[in-house]
Amino acid sequence: MSRFELTRIPFIKNTLKSRYPQLAVFIVMLVGYIFAILAGLIGTPVGSHNFSIVFVWIAWWAILILVAVPFFGRGWCAVCPIPLPGEWLQRGAVLSPPDKKPKWLNLRWPKFLRNIWMQNISFLLLALFSSVLLTTPNITGIVLAAMLFAAIGLSTIFERRAFCRYLCPVGGFIGLYSQTAPIELRIKDKQICVTCEGKPCYNGSANGYGCPWDVFPGGLTKNTYCGLCMECIRTCPHDNIAINLRPFSADLAKPSTRMDEAFKAFIMLGSAMIYAGVLLGPWGAFKDAAYNVGTSAWFIYAVIFLAIIFVILPGFFTLGILKTKGSLPLKQRFASLATALIPLGLMFWVAFSLSFVLTNASYIIAAFSDPLGLGWNLFGTANAVWQPMLTFVLAPAQTLALVGGLIWSARTAQKAANEIRTSSISVIAFSFILTLVMLWLLL
Amino acid sequence: MNSRFILLLFVMAGLVVAFAPLPVQPITPQERTFRIDARQYAYSPSEFKVNPGDKVNIQLVSTDVVHGLYVDGYDISIEADPGQTKTLSFVADKPGSFRFRCNVTCGAMHPFMIGKLTVGTNNWLYRSIGLAVLAVIGFLPLSSFIPQTKNMD
Amino acid sequence: MKRSELISRILITVAIVSVVGAPLYFWSHTPLIHVHIAEDGGWSPDVIKANVNEPLNLKLTSDDVVHGFAVGQMDMQSVDVLPGKVADVTLNFDKPGIYTFFCTRWCGINHWRMRGTIEVSGSPADPSTSSGQRPEPASVPMYVTLGLDIDAPHDSPSIPFSQPSAINGQQLAVNLPIDRSTEYYLGNSPYQVFDELGSTSLTEIQRWNVVASIWQSNTTPESLANGQHLFAQNCAACHGENGAGNGVFADDLAAADESSMQTMAGSDNMTMQSPVDFTNPTRMLGASPALLQGKILRGGMGTGMPMWGSIFTEEQIWDLIAYLYSFQFDYHN
Repeated sequence: MSRFELTRIPFIKNTLKSRYPQLAVFIVMLVGYIFAILAGLIGTPVGSHNFSIVFVWIAWWAILILVAVPFFGRGWCAVCPIPLPGEWLQRGAVLSPPDKKPKWLNLRWPKFLRNIWMQNISFLLLALFSSVLLTTPNITGIVLAAMLFAAIGLSTIFERRAFCRYLCPVGGFIGLYSQTAPIELRIKDKQICVTCEGKPCYNGSANGYGCPWDVFPGGLTKNTYCGLCMECIRTCPHDNIAINLRPFSADLAKPSTRMDEAFKAFIMLGSAMIYAGVLLGPWGAFKDAAYNVGTSAWFIYAVIFLAIIFVILPGFFTLGILKTKGSLPLKQRFASLATALIPLGLMFWVAFSLSFVLTNASYIIAAFSDPLGLGWNLFGTANAVWQPMLTFVLAPAQTLALVGGLIWSARTAQKAANEIRTSSISVIAFSFILTLVMLWLLL
Repeated sequence: MNSRFILLLFVMAGLVVAFAPLPVQPITPQERTFRIDARQYAYSPSEFKVNPGDKVNIQLVSTDVVHGLYVDGYDISIEADPGQTKTLSFVADKPGSFRFRCNVTCGAMHPFMIGKLTVGTNNWLYRSIGLAVLAVIGFLPLSSFIPQTKNMD
Repeated sequence: MKRSELISRILITVAIVSVVGAPLYFWSHTPLIHVHIAEDGGWSPDVIKANVNEPLNLKLTSDDVVHGFAVGQMDMQSVDVLPGKVADVTLNFDKPGIYTFFCTRWCGINHWRMRGTIEVSGSPADPSTSSGQRPEPASVPMYVTLGLDIDAPHDSPSIPFSQPSAINGQQLAVNLPIDRSTEYYLGNSPYQVFDELGSTSLTEIQRWNVVASIWQSNTTPESLANGQHLFAQNCAACHGENGAGNGVFADDLAAADESSMQTMAGSDNMTMQSPVDFTNPTRMLGASPALLQGKILRGGMGTGMPMWGSIFTEEQIWDLIAYLYSFQFDYHN
């Protein structure tokens, strides 16, 4: 398939290779992140007027799910501030590798945890409490701080970025959906890597650090675990690393066979549908159940939530593919065909988020001027009133996202089925039914 | 017939489903009055239907704290204190389904206090279901045959 | 260490220290009065100290829902306290004393419990410059001087078959020997006046019409409008917008009983009652304005009816009472 190498453009290449532009972005992001923690802890408890809620759950989320993930894959991970303090400690430097390495434990991550199950669990933990998390600045502040400190702690115990790779609740689905993005980091010539001595892209050199994501770039075939941190561009002695523009969903042509990734697809798909019903639906009882953590209603909500994700959706999916002819065992067919749910889930999230974001984006303007709710008016916009935007394009845009997602998913299903020589009809039917449910929930 | 022609056919059909004007059955507009109770964080009733052209009066009764009601698409709103019922009157001249939502911060889950107003039929839902059906029809024959074609070559 | 590394580290440290320090500094220098619903603590703080003739500047912010702020018996526009927003209020007191401030926007069944005090100390200013602020300790209320037991039953033994019309009564009243003093109106219930009119040759409905006309002659359209406004804002949530005792909190009050009370100190034995129905003639026609004033001033003592004495001015209470009788009498045609 056709690729266009972005790093062929000298400006892009130099910008990525130099540490200073990245450091500048890092500092801005870290300052914003720390401010969000602080705002959550000392600012007004009213979420819609607190920087932590407005900038994290409206602004950041909108950029992440509507722009960063669909178009830049793990682009967010490239600028994410959460691992930075830990990584700087671990490296003993904020720029190039120092002469003397600091002595940390530097353990290998345990083998049985080298999958994204921990990320599936951490995402679900947040997801079950999401109604409180999304609306309570205090809780958001605490969760943001906890992630920062978890990342620091893990950096001092384990090598590389253990938090990003195995624990981050967001990183799991960004990785899954980054396979659909039209951007990738790949090597240019495999032969060079085979003969390359020392593999500095993985082991590090004086020019840079070994891959923080514990990935050997020479073996990259999909985006899932490449965090676009640009270290290998700096360390490769043969100028063999490229950032490419490519067709959408290029990675999905080679379906994964991993159960953790397959279930990640179900988790994301199911969560998007549950949120569409609970948060955006007209049913007050669901909202009460989701919000009142610890009550019996909430426990029922949590059980239903988990049942939809782990039993109902995978169950029907399995029933659909049970009878299809195929040479592979059911488990592998399951994992491969679940690839079709990746574009579907992404577009479900896009459709869900469009509604939430367009409705509430005007809070950003006011929170910009009075981020803590202390009565400031930094930029003169503190009194901007809540005003939903573009509500008339919402229904067509959601239709486009959902039907587009269905077509995308059907096409992916065909390719995946083709790859393992089976029929895609039941997968397409599954996607079709879920799309109808989602249409009914959102429109 | 080559595949490009079929694809074109499907795109045309899709455009028809998405944008073709629907026959409007003439219904004499009525005046309709709804009493909507608002509490943290729900309206009751939370869904109601009117016909295009109806004059709609929404009596908003807040039963705990100050609530509001903003209608998407119509961009109109009202605010009511408990004990002070307010009425929002408008002519439902835009067909389709619209969310209405609280526009007065009324507690944590305020952004999700949502109801649904349907004027006539929920056209976008039916159009999008049509599009989804069309998309699946386009894929079904291909899906079942692909394994065999692959076997043949 | 390379210079670039050192500069970067300094830059990062400065950035982090300032992003933590600056907001903390401004936050700790912004004294806010946080406002919650009564169940979550109401006003904090709820006691504010001030001095006579020194402007008192208050910054109020709501931590949950829409609230409002006003000082009782003070001629001021109430200020909305919106969630996440800061409302600035500047007050000026020219007399020492304890002022009550209260929430002006309904925020739940315990809305009326949201009260706090401003303790103003200092010597009173020159009386000649004093504005229309809080009057000297109010004169002894009428129900006390009349020796009324405001908790005693006061049902009217007789009620009219249809709503009495003030217009129809006006003509009949012209030549009747009626005591037209304000004291007479304030001290007597409609039924007592109806009863005294028994000595005339009027029919029962004619007598009720005369009573209605007397009640109308003791009020003005402005008073009624003011009373209606006060009623809508303060009373309708429980007593109903049409006065029928069926406001949005009526059911909650009946159901809440002791459960909602126990969070409030010293009120374990309170029992909630359904709000009074002002459209009920038996109850209303047996109550004199002085009796109603007493009930409003003192409150229901644990029934869920607030004490309004420190909030309404005497004039506001009379306006409100005049409006309450309009649920019984037809003042229009």
